[in-house]
Amino acid sequence: MSKLKTMARTQLPKLDTLSMVTMGLLMAVQLVLSRFTIGNQFIRLSFTFLVVALIARWFGPWWGMLTAAVVDIVGTLLTGNPYFVGFTVSAVLGSLIYALFLYQHPVSWPRLIIAQVLIALLVNTVLNTLWLTIMYQTPFWALLPMRLLKQAIVSPIQIVLLYLLFKNHVTQTIYHRLTR
Amino acid sequence: MSKFIFGRYLPLNSVVHRLDPRNKLAISFCYIILVFLANSLLSYLILIALTLGAIKASHIKLGFFLRGIRPLIWLIIFTVLLQLLFSPAGGHVYWHWAFINVTQFGLINAGYIFIRFMLIIMMSTLLTLSTQPLDIATGLASLMTPLRWVRVPVDTLAMMLSIALRFVPTLMDEAQKIMNAQRARGVDFGEGGLIKQAKSLIPLMVPLFMSAFNRAEDLSTAMETRGYQDSEHRSHYRVLTWQRRDTVTWLIFGVGLALILISRRW
Repeated sequence: MSKLKTMARTQLPKLDTLSMVTMGLLMAVQLVLSRFTIGNQFIRLSFTFLVVALIARWFGPWWGMLTAAVVDIVGTLLTGNPYFVGFTVSAVLGSLIYALFLYQHPVSWPRLIIAQVLIALLVNTVLNTLWLTIMYQTPFWALLPMRLLKQAIVSPIQIVLLYLLFKNHVTQTIYHRLTR
Repeated sequence: MSKFIFGRYLPLNSVVHRLDPRNKLAISFCYIILVFLANSLLSYLILIALTLGAIKASHIKLGFFLRGIRPLIWLIIFTVLLQLLFSPAGGHVYWHWAFINVTQFGLINAGYIFIRFMLIIMMSTLLTLSTQPLDIATGLASLMTPLRWVRVPVDTLAMMLSIALRFVPTLMDEAQKIMNAQRARGVDFGEGGLIKQAKSLIPLMVPLFMSAFNRAEDLSTAMETRGYQDSEHRSHYRVLTWQRRDTVTWLIFGVGLALILISRRW
């Protein structure tokens, strides 16, 4: 909690042109990746969370939340899905959780696991089911078990992929060039 | 550049297409509230009339809208069936077995929810089909301007967004090329179990990130040599203009809202 307080007090970090353009391109990568999903008929997994985590880790909570909100709104509108403000809240919270655990901290298994489990439970399961209920009057308790099951299957894969991404030497090379 | 168009914009020349994008965005956000307000047969009829009127004015064929429903079809069926089978007793009971009741009340409710789904999806599809991605970005940036008062860096975000939209087609091409190149060397995308599929995407992701970052470096250098310093102290070439048809759509929307508020009891 104290971390949230210090974060609230700090100003939005000023961006150099390279960081700004990099974030813009990462947003583009996110929009592209949202079109590729893997899985079968029952479980689909998209890779946009990797970009969200990357922006959160490199640029911190403020920029993470802002870009997450913008990508959610624009991505939804461009694909023709119904827009609902709750899902933007979810996207922002997801980015915030990643940033709180990963920004300016060394990557470790416990950090990744706690961050991902928090997001899976709070954001993807409870909140997103709540938004569906508000928006379409879908029965909340009937939908919850199925979505929980999906998250239980998908989360371990997500954790491993996040670890592989952050430990990848290409990602680290990019980060060094960015902070040079 | 490939023929790939981001989003599913349909270039037609209707009244809806020529509306101010800010206007269309605002109306589609408010439309969701309108749907929340409707709760009776008459109010739903008014809502259907409004939506069909908008679709008619856009000259887009109904088939495109039905395609928008496809990704949500399971959620729709699931919700409608649950409403139908497990609704509390009320009105005439048509069929009864153990704890499953099909009642008049449940039937009406399921019908309402089905209509609600259709309306929300159709309206958002209409926005996507009738507005160019760049217009959506410009409109959104303009609608976010008041957020400056709470120190949100709106201009920087707008710049990032326009960079992002410009590079989506380029990176999409790039992604296809990388996939083909990796396929040529034996990677199977979309084969095997969930974990195997996830692992096969690493040879796509890492080059894609690297390529995106190389482009970012080149672009930022090019921007700076062209005199770019920050996003705030500059002028705008793309300017949106509010026209009479925009005012008229809000008048229609206002009348619709009033009618729905009145008809909530019937």
